[in-house]
Amino acid sequence: MFKKSFTMVALILLLCIGFTASSEGAAYPSRPLEIVAPANPGGGWDAMARTINRVLEIEKLYPQPISVINKPGGGGAVGLAYIFMKKGDDHELVVFSPPLIINTLNKTFTQNYKELTPLAKLITDYQVFIVKADSPYKTFNDLLAAVKKNPNAVKFAGGSSPGSMDHLAFCKVAKMAGINPKDLSYVAFSGGGEALTTLLGGNVAFVSSGTGEVLTHIQAGTVRALAITSGVRGGGPLKDVPTLKELGINTTYEVWRGVFGAPGMSKEAQAWWANTIKKMVGTKTWKESLEKLQWVPAYEDANGFAKFLKEEEKSYLDLMTDLGFAK
Amino acid sequence: MDFLGHFWSNVALGFGVAGTPFNLLLCFVGVFLGTLIGVLPGIGPMTGVALLIPLTFSLQPASAIILMAGIYYGAMYGGSTTSILVNTPGESASVVTCLDGYQMAKKGRAGPALAAAAIGSFVAGTFATLMLMLFGPWVAGIALKFGPPEFFSLMLAGLTVVTSLAGRSLVKALFSTLFGLAIATMGIDNQSGVPRFTFGNPELMDGLEFLTVAIGLFALCEVFVNLANMKDAVQERLSIKGGLWLTKEDWKRFIPSCIRGTLSGFFVGGIAGAGAAVASFVSYGLEKKVSKYRDELGHGAIEGVTGPESANNAAAGGSLIHLLCLGIPGSGTTAIMLGALLMIGLQPGPLLFTQQPEFVWGLIASMYIGNVMLLVLNLPLVGMWVKLLDVPLYLLMLFIIMFSFLGVYTMNNSVQDLFIMVLFGVIGYLMKRVDIPAAPIILGIVLGKLMEEKMRQSLVISDGSLMIFITRPISLFLLFLAFVAITNPYWKQIGRGVRRLFGGAPAA
Repeated sequence: MFKKSFTMVALILLLCIGFTASSEGAAYPSRPLEIVAPANPGGGWDAMARTINRVLEIEKLYPQPISVINKPGGGGAVGLAYIFMKKGDDHELVVFSPPLIINTLNKTFTQNYKELTPLAKLITDYQVFIVKADSPYKTFNDLLAAVKKNPNAVKFAGGSSPGSMDHLAFCKVAKMAGINPKDLSYVAFSGGGEALTTLLGGNVAFVSSGTGEVLTHIQAGTVRALAITSGVRGGGPLKDVPTLKELGINTTYEVWRGVFGAPGMSKEAQAWWANTIKKMVGTKTWKESLEKLQWVPAYEDANGFAKFLKEEEKSYLDLMTDLGFAK
Repeated sequence: MDFLGHFWSNVALGFGVAGTPFNLLLCFVGVFLGTLIGVLPGIGPMTGVALLIPLTFSLQPASAIILMAGIYYGAMYGGSTTSILVNTPGESASVVTCLDGYQMAKKGRAGPALAAAAIGSFVAGTFATLMLMLFGPWVAGIALKFGPPEFFSLMLAGLTVVTSLAGRSLVKALFSTLFGLAIATMGIDNQSGVPRFTFGNPELMDGLEFLTVAIGLFALCEVFVNLANMKDAVQERLSIKGGLWLTKEDWKRFIPSCIRGTLSGFFVGGIAGAGAAVASFVSYGLEKKVSKYRDELGHGAIEGVTGPESANNAAAGGSLIHLLCLGIPGSGTTAIMLGALLMIGLQPGPLLFTQQPEFVWGLIASMYIGNVMLLVLNLPLVGMWVKLLDVPLYLLMLFIIMFSFLGVYTMNNSVQDLFIMVLFGVIGYLMKRVDIPAAPIILGIVLGKLMEEKMRQSLVISDGSLMIFITRPISLFLLFLAFVAITNPYWKQIGRGVRRLFGGAPAA
């Protein structure tokens, strides 16, 4: 029994060696692909990496095996350090979102993310600002007026530390509305769920959250969403939530997710991925996955993505300098 | 009457859903995988559930949750196995089980220890399911009353457990606790976003993984201790003495500790939402305070296995209440389950019970079935597991080393974690040589981070006033409990002193 399985393993190993040896030097892609998720299984980055993996596999877009590797830690710092060690390796991808820029500006990340090779922006999510159903704040303008009057008395909570997305999203809005974001009183929780419990328990006035985590509560009517940070209104339970623009605040806040190659990816590989990702986002499997995950498609090719990142960095730099988070 | 009729028709509906051959199979696969995941250190229930998510895409919502929930509570059963046999906790909620479980194994009583863990888990799991069924939404309402101040007071009360983890010297135990609390401050501070004690090392930014430290302090330390006694240890075996099953005396001690563990675990983990690891610690402390056999704890008392193992299962079941009734995940694993349910197009939360009865009641029924399956699955396994102990001690030590390295590496795919584990193995060994207990370090790490976070959140809410901890009734009550727990050993002395002061006859 044991002997048999041992021979099997040995055979498989031999096959693998033979396979890699024979494919050396062939046209790109010549080796298995590794997609780095800079977080634990279960989070948004992991879901993104695994979705890419699945669609490439099902649609047979990548001719070699694909695997996702989780490198959790430091809000993406460990994953970033890992992909930097793979400099020049054309068979390494990594997924990231705004913390890539935020953590670079506040110097949590020691590497410069600009060395990564942007391949495409893929999807986006937005923030909503929610209050408890029985809150005295009926509209976003009620809320803003109260904050304006006494910023310290209207506490808000989010699922991440100060200076990260939940906090910054409202700071950006407050600043546009003429409130000094430094005066705001933010309670940081380690996860959106905890922040929501605190809201429902009546301990804070409102919560800044990604849309996905609170959809069910908006639908059930336990919380009320006062505003969404997208440019146009969302669908489903979000269709009655006004955008900031409708409320006269000319700004948006995007929680985008995109995919990058390792630093120093070859021109050949970049061209191959530009083509492949374009094909990927057009497939039915991709569209179905997005629908299931309630992600908004936001495809931009490598050039568009690079330009977008530049704008994002400028906007974050302004905001974070005001708040003293940029170092 | 109408309510009752409605209730029974719901129960029937649930068993109808859970009883289909396919769902029974999924339930079995879930609890079986869960047991395995619990046994293997490193792969926790969180990773297990996350990796199965793609599979659940093609399933009916009820089938998907039956599978995932099976993994979740199955892991709570399996986690105790390696704690008892090789002093290596399989997941974080089973760390406390090492203390008495491994001592029992050393005395040749691994069989009763494993059986007690399985039966205790069964009782607690069934109890939590019953509570979910009868009082789910009501329990969820109480859970919302636990804001940051209540949480802080609960953690503080939990910290009084340290007196029960002390060996001979309370000072040494306090030293050890402080060391644990200090370790808990490592990593990015959630309240300010500033990294502390990370030395620019990205892998330290989330602090030290609690299971890595625990495996170093318990499992590797055990290896080092045996290495030091190499000459006598080589051919020694932890062979089984006596039966594999609980004796009459065991049963008498099992029942009260199981009830206490279940209730305290359900309160701490299920209602307050403090997680299964904290629940198991609190249960251990409770045993030390109220059990008739408290002096035997730490030396292989069955209460030290039954209590925590019941508690962690009651907590796991309880956190499903948070998920289903509030749509708020109470633990890392339930957070992933929430994500998966959303993907399937189902929205857990207040509307779930009315909109998706076949889903909710199917899950509840499957949890009864799953718990029975786990009991049937785990009891015969006891006989198999204890055979593992029938090897010479040096071989067993090799097992421990293999399990530890494999487990810690798979957690984060990090080599640095291995070094940290070995470092804590050495620290644990040195501490053992000077008789400082290691368990308080773990307690400090488990409670420290949460305590600090909750205290600072409370203070932001109260604009810096400490009054927030005593003006809120639940918080005040928990602080009072903590006070009683700390002062209670001195009451007799104080009473005697007072009597002497007033000239009364000194007590004998």
